[in-house]
Amino acid sequence: MFRFIIRRLLITIPTILVVISITWVLIKLAPGNFYSGEKRLPAAIEKSIREKYGLDKPWYQQYGKTMWNIVRHLDFGTSLRFEGQSVNTIIRRSLPVSAAIGILAYLLALIVGVTIGSIAALKQNSRWDYTSMALAMLGISVPNFVLGPILVLIFSLSLYWLPPSRWGGFPSRNLILPVLTLSAIYMAYIARLTRAGMLEVLRSDYIRTARAKGLSEKDVLIKHALRGGLMPVISYTGPALAFLLTGTVVVERIFALPGLGNYFIQASLNRDEPLIIGIVAFISITLLFMNLLVDIAYAYLDPRVRYH
Amino acid sequence: MSRINWKQLSALVLLAAMACTTLSCAVASSNEVYFGKTTPPARNILRYVTGEEPESLDPAISNGQPESRIYMALYDGLVEYDPKTLAPIPALASHWRANDDSSEFTFYLRRDGRWSNGAPIDANDFVYSFRRALSKQLASRNAYMAYLMKYAQAYNEGAVFVRDPSNGKFLLAKDFDEHLPPDPLAGSPVDAAKGEYQTTAEESQEPADSAFHQAMHTPLRLTLPGDEKARTKLLNADAKIKEAVTGKELVPVKGEDIGVEAIDKYTLRISLTLPAPFFVGMLAHQVFRIVPRQVVEKYGNQWTQPAHIVTCGPFKVKTWQAYHTLVVERDPMYWDAATVKLDEIHFYPMSDNPTIMNQYKVGEVDAVLNHTVPNAWLDVVRTKKDYMDGAEAAIEFIIMNTTKPPLNDVRVRKAFNMAIDKEAWATWRKIVKPLTAFTPSGIFHEYPQPKGDAFNPDEARRLLGEAGYPVTKNSDGSYSCPKFPANQIEYIYNTQESTKNMVEWMQAQWKQNLGITVPLRNMDWKTFLTLRAKLDYVGFARGSWGADYMDPFTFLSLFYTGGENGSGWSDPKYISLLDEANRTLDQKKRYELLAQAEAFMLQAQPIIPIHTASVNWVKKPYVKGMYPNAASLYPWKFVYIERDQAKWDVGTPSLAGGY
Amino acid sequence: MEPENKISPEMAVAEADVRSEESGEVVRGTSLWRDAWRRLLKNKLAVFGLVVVAIVTIASIIGPTVIKSAFGFTPDYIPTNDVRLIRSFPPFTGPNGEFSWAHPMGTDNAGRDQLARVLQGGQISLFVGIISTLVSLIIGVSYGAIAGYVGGRVDNVMMRVVDVLYSLPYVIVVIVLLSMFRSQTPRGQLTLLFIALGSVSWLTMARIVRGQVLSLKNQEFVLAARATGVSGPRIVFRHIVPNTLGPVIVYATLTIPQIMLTEAFLSFLGFGVQAPLASWGSLAADGVQNIAIFPWQLIFPGVTMALTLFSLNFLGDGLRDALDPQMRTT
Repeated sequence: MFRFIIRRLLITIPTILVVISITWVLIKLAPGNFYSGEKRLPAAIEKSIREKYGLDKPWYQQYGKTMWNIVRHLDFGTSLRFEGQSVNTIIRRSLPVSAAIGILAYLLALIVGVTIGSIAALKQNSRWDYTSMALAMLGISVPNFVLGPILVLIFSLSLYWLPPSRWGGFPSRNLILPVLTLSAIYMAYIARLTRAGMLEVLRSDYIRTARAKGLSEKDVLIKHALRGGLMPVISYTGPALAFLLTGTVVVERIFALPGLGNYFIQASLNRDEPLIIGIVAFISITLLFMNLLVDIAYAYLDPRVRYH
Repeated sequence: MSRINWKQLSALVLLAAMACTTLSCAVASSNEVYFGKTTPPARNILRYVTGEEPESLDPAISNGQPESRIYMALYDGLVEYDPKTLAPIPALASHWRANDDSSEFTFYLRRDGRWSNGAPIDANDFVYSFRRALSKQLASRNAYMAYLMKYAQAYNEGAVFVRDPSNGKFLLAKDFDEHLPPDPLAGSPVDAAKGEYQTTAEESQEPADSAFHQAMHTPLRLTLPGDEKARTKLLNADAKIKEAVTGKELVPVKGEDIGVEAIDKYTLRISLTLPAPFFVGMLAHQVFRIVPRQVVEKYGNQWTQPAHIVTCGPFKVKTWQAYHTLVVERDPMYWDAATVKLDEIHFYPMSDNPTIMNQYKVGEVDAVLNHTVPNAWLDVVRTKKDYMDGAEAAIEFIIMNTTKPPLNDVRVRKAFNMAIDKEAWATWRKIVKPLTAFTPSGIFHEYPQPKGDAFNPDEARRLLGEAGYPVTKNSDGSYSCPKFPANQIEYIYNTQESTKNMVEWMQAQWKQNLGITVPLRNMDWKTFLTLRAKLDYVGFARGSWGADYMDPFTFLSLFYTGGENGSGWSDPKYISLLDEANRTLDQKKRYELLAQAEAFMLQAQPIIPIHTASVNWVKKPYVKGMYPNAASLYPWKFVYIERDQAKWDVGTPSLAGGY
Repeated sequence: MEPENKISPEMAVAEADVRSEESGEVVRGTSLWRDAWRRLLKNKLAVFGLVVVAIVTIASIIGPTVIKSAFGFTPDYIPTNDVRLIRSFPPFTGPNGEFSWAHPMGTDNAGRDQLARVLQGGQISLFVGIISTLVSLIIGVSYGAIAGYVGGRVDNVMMRVVDVLYSLPYVIVVIVLLSMFRSQTPRGQLTLLFIALGSVSWLTMARIVRGQVLSLKNQEFVLAARATGVSGPRIVFRHIVPNTLGPVIVYATLTIPQIMLTEAFLSFLGFGVQAPLASWGSLAADGVQNIAIFPWQLIFPGVTMALTLFSLNFLGDGLRDALDPQMRTT
């Protein structure tokens, strides 16, 4: 197991470098520049800007410099759009916002989702099952760009209970609506995956064996059924949590939150090369790490899984 | 099994429908006088949504409007915008004088100008800031705004003078370019320049003469590209210059060569290449606002960090949380601190319009930026007394690629223009004014704005037929134009809700009046700009422009440079008319020449004018001193929170009268 | 539409396997499908789902044409000759506020008939949703199954490829795709849309299937199959994949709404259908802007979309139960 983890951590580095390189190429291919605007700049000013940021150099020099700074100093450079702000600072500043909302939303989704998913599986084809699955489906069918404004309309604009948007620190009342909006779809996913996984497991031989051995129903459910039934949820958790941590654009935009997702989409639309690369690298590190955790959790939770 | 579910389903649907209906009633039909809460904040703080996250707090860097408004709080210039008319009003310059032909200006600075760290402000701060803004190293996107200053463009482009080492004399531009406009300052000898200003008693001394001033009055020197390659190319193309340059030494244009001079500590003189009566009006632009030399030189591009920043405006930075809030507080060092009534302004960077409007409605912000009320909301919001309505110095138009068929035929372009009922469009859009010209209507009052072709579908069909695309009438009254290659052209635009409405509308008009369905194509902003700039599209592209300064030339100059305007259209006659206009001192005559140029351009029809925009925002009635002016720029020192309800603004405050 | 054949291609693969190798016993394969179909019909919820999906699909396909012949307007018809008509009317309301059958779902800001737009949007959303889900199923399931079954270095490399694709900035990828392959024809634009959607939709599916396969491949029935000399591909697609069906179908039904929403986002970047045509996702995105003023602009596309997704989901559940190999054995 230990060797497996080390090996996976080692392979992470080339993977991230590949991601960064592909991203770099993509940015170079994308039309437009961070400085282009409605009125075209005089050619001389455009040239000065390109010289200032080293964009006039041959591509291999630009690529080499970018990669060298990243590999050697873990330095992603300075944002092109936000003059003088280093990419590392921007990520450090905006990550806590995204992470706070993402983790809260995922915890909420996990607790509610697993609970109603398990209930639905245990009482398959009952009223409970249908109600919880209908609710879950509602969560999936209503996109968050619709759910968010509806919640705002109810709780902020009509009842005046909660602030409609903006970051208010942690913890604060401002968190409630974005967390709810964000968690709805994950809650629904988790509920459905839990139900499916549980149903699968409940019919399997080892549960029958456990029951036959005379274990109490509670033990069977919690120690065995839930453990196995959560496998699809865990698979799903890796990427889901990685994306939640690194920000979700829609929610951050609807609620005007200073999170990483907001920066990411704006940087992409503004062709802010260092910022895009920095955030992409960060996202991919998080993702790889989460997936590693998932694989470890697999081995731990499911004795049938073996890594060689 | 299914019965339960039917019940649940219908219950859910019913619930959702009910919730939506009641809520929409709660929001839409409230017959209040104002939109949302009107409780003034407890302290004298203005919470303002300024748009996108500011790129930088350095006034020389950004050319965006959200930033402009922040710079107006933090930095002062020689002049400030009038809160209503946007005409220049005294700021750090208490008064100024122009020479006879408005090609040279002398500014008299107030003695009590101070930086936020207490250091005094003098004329050298301006000289430093102007040179910095124009330096190649800074690469400011706004630098072109200052090109009117002598040698400013040459310095910004990194050009070189040519000097004869034998006698130390510079080669002159007029010897190599017969089309060059006459040099205004060279025409007035320095002796005359000495007496060109009428001094008043309050001025301690007459502006002194200096070697620099003399140099400014010598004929314009020849400048060549500093870049070796570009220079060689130019020299190879022009044998006369090549011969003259051979054996001469090349002297880089330096910051010190720019036509700005500190005559003494509190007197600044600016010399221009052209007569420009509107120049003082441009000086309120952010690129002319000053930055603190010591701090900038000490911290480099980190100088705008809250820990380091030193400013000179009515407010100074208190805290800055990116993508969240920029808090600026009243600066006691500010020379006009007595006028400043707000203790703080909180700038919120937000860009989603419904989100902004919600924030406004619940009373979490006091005023919002321009163009935030979505079109569909206007029915409701426009009836409220806190809706701000007024003419805007901005236009919306369609650019056509005149280099590719079928739109390379002027008859086709004219047909497409005449097939749009702009009156109807303006009626639908509710707040805009129909436009047939290329300058906004109702902004430049003395300007004899020409009229373009009016809505005339019959003529449009006739013109198309003449161009080889006959339009036939179908039995059901609709038209069709089978020969027109509609599927080979497109109408490109950037993704934005209001723009989408507009292009769909135009498409419907063409379909109805010409029987031609032009395919629409949206894309992200930067892709759109690139395709348009490179003329990498066939057909139509969205265009819009807001004034950089209050003169028709800011619009007409879009087509001044050849081909870079997205249409590929360029005409020497147009350019020479504009040049002539800008050489003309008499304002009325100048306007006539500009109007001639505009009429000439409208005849060639590289664009289809659509409308003059209107400002479209809301502010709480207790926010006073903030006016819906044509550029949506607000000198913050005049803004205050009025607690006496009787004095609140009811409806859009008038732009007439003093401030 | 024959969703029962489309939703589970891996079953089709398995069945083809049966036919080719045991060519004499085609009857058995057919009865398998007949069995499943019978079980499906017993499940009332699934039948309900099937009926709704069928109705929505048929309405979307023929609706716009019917409306055009009945009332004379198309989904993109803006009445520019009468500005008074270019505004958002509530459902069943005529220009003067009177009752009218002309616009049962009201009109949008440009005075276009919402019903026609919702139906036309259905064409796009359903098509996009189903095709992309199929792509996600075919690529994702095979990829994940192979990675999980082969394991070791192959698994490692294959999963790192998924990680890389996951991490790439999607917005930039789409912008580059769009600028490199500019297509003026609607067909070309649709193809591009599928490339853009397909390139991401299978990633999570692959991870989920791989996870399932990892836990299944050491189970007795697989070991038994291997011991009797069944070939690798056959084990994967004949024995393992059918056992992952539960989560796969659940996830596939979850993918459809996700894809419809991604499609709405892609239309922001200029991918897929161009205005004035719209999809459910983009109609909802537009409607939500005016939720406080003209709620019907959101309610109708939103409810139609939600109802369809509901039904697809019930149908998916029914299919899962009907095709479940474990249920079949009992």
